[in-house]
Amino acid sequence: MQPALDVSGLTKTYGGGTKALAGVDLKVEEGSIFALLGPNGAGKTTLMRILTTQLRPDTGKAQVFGLDTARQGAAIRRLAGYVPQEMSVWTDISGYENMLIYAKIYGVPKSTRDGTIKDALAKMGLDDVRERVVSTYSGGMIRRLEIACTLLIKPKILFLDEPTIGLDPSARKVVWEELTAFKREHGATVFFNTHYMDEADNYADRIAIIDRGKIVGEGTPDELKRSIGGELIKLTVVGEAATQAVVDHLRGMDLVTDLTAAGAELSLVVKDASMALPAIIEAMRERGVAVKRVTMEAPTLDDVFLRYAGARLEEGGRAVDTRQTRRMIKVG
Amino acid sequence: MESIKNVGVMIELELRRLRHDRMELWTRAVQPVLWIAIYGTIMGNVRGIDTGGLKYQDYITPGVLIQSTTFVSIFYGLTIVWERESGILKRLLVSPVSRSATVIGRSMAAGVRAIFQGLIIIPIALVIGVRFVPNPLFLLGAFLVIFFAAGGFAAISIFIASFFKTRERFMGIGQAITFPLFFTSSALYPLSMMPHVLKEIALVNPVSYVVDAVRGLMISGDLSGLPIDLLAIAVFLVVMFTVASVSFKRIIE
Repeated sequence: MQPALDVSGLTKTYGGGTKALAGVDLKVEEGSIFALLGPNGAGKTTLMRILTTQLRPDTGKAQVFGLDTARQGAAIRRLAGYVPQEMSVWTDISGYENMLIYAKIYGVPKSTRDGTIKDALAKMGLDDVRERVVSTYSGGMIRRLEIACTLLIKPKILFLDEPTIGLDPSARKVVWEELTAFKREHGATVFFNTHYMDEADNYADRIAIIDRGKIVGEGTPDELKRSIGGELIKLTVVGEAATQAVVDHLRGMDLVTDLTAAGAELSLVVKDASMALPAIIEAMRERGVAVKRVTMEAPTLDDVFLRYAGARLEEGGRAVDTRQTRRMIKVG
Repeated sequence: MESIKNVGVMIELELRRLRHDRMELWTRAVQPVLWIAIYGTIMGNVRGIDTGGLKYQDYITPGVLIQSTTFVSIFYGLTIVWERESGILKRLLVSPVSRSATVIGRSMAAGVRAIFQGLIIIPIALVIGVRFVPNPLFLLGAFLVIFFAAGGFAAISIFIASFFKTRERFMGIGQAITFPLFFTSSALYPLSMMPHVLKEIALVNPVSYVVDAVRGLMISGDLSGLPIDLLAIAVFLVVMFTVASVSFKRIIE
């Protein structure tokens, strides 16, 4: 099947000499939710702006449903919905009017227009404020309106640049439930940039980690976590200590990468804890050792990120910065 | 066809914005009314300007009206600068609306503002004592000229906005353009009174042609210069829409 996005060897250097992309290769399957995770300045927004036909790459190729972003921009713009990182609605008209303008631009038929708009607004929880001028909205309401404007036009692919920035956790949940439902109903592809790890973890089918203009890791959230060397299982056995026979046996198991025993405590590193644990407990019981207590520690995406990009992601107050920028734009 | 529809959507957007905030229309009408009422009355007493038999106050009314609408148009670029700073322009540029439809649509949106400007100023001028040609068709023609001319000046403004991308720089350049356009035109005095160099400038200044057309349609009823005026305005529009559409891509880079 033709991928929704097919990017190869993409580079982009800005006028000032800033190398934003240093050879990006990426494939995104149709109908999937794909997260591009990376710190500030990693090239996330540049990549998105190339994919949405706003910028031309220096070298390399980017295709959206087989259409070349540099040469077939007009055709791509008919398929794509886009929410930029900055605020992108008119603040001096109402939420409903914003939707109406976008509906007309995208040619939503007149007969269904009013219903579709009201439905989209209701889904985003903006029902009772739809006639209010947008300048009276909170940051979160504006973000939801922007996403509603995009869903309205039923795009085949959605490009979302930090879609839930400035939203509180419950609003983020609402937005993602809607996006997931939209994807399910329409088979749409969702490509989003984020620096919220939990968001990528919870909602993305696949994640690519970008750092300094290069993709440094790619896979499903679980694959990525497993790829950093496995998970940790801690067992406490009944009695003083596990028998040497049991320890030797466990050490010899294929599933177990590493084992340390200290009295009644056993620490095991395994590739996939949910698969390995039943086998481990079974093996212990066969050798007469009962387990009193089990804890599992899965690596988080933060650990993944640390491993691939060499830095923690949520350091440096980046989220706060962006929120302030958005507020400034709103006031200005 | 779709482009024409999208130009219409941009105009509708502007009408909706105006509906929510009419304040700016009123405050912008203060200055031109002062020009007509005070400057027009006093300079009219001097009787040193050959107005071709028109009362001086009547003579300058079209010029002042055009100056005021040109001002609105030239500063329309500020809206574009603001939309660039936010994500609105990015989003529009990723929509199916072609760049030229965006530029022409937004420019003509400024034309809508100009019409409202005229609708406020003309009744006030009537009260002050300015006499208009009592033919509604002539007045309608004058409004069409104002509408399209304002669109052309807004296109200049969008063109400028694609080079001067911050508000401060844009404000400066906007100021630097509007008054020279006004003073080197036939808005306040006939071309025949100007020094030679100024006359040459006035001949390539679109404001001269717009003022002449509107003065003919609104005040004097003399339409002898109208064909040339309309031709000049048409050329001006085509050139400005083209230039602004080509430069528009720069704006988000």
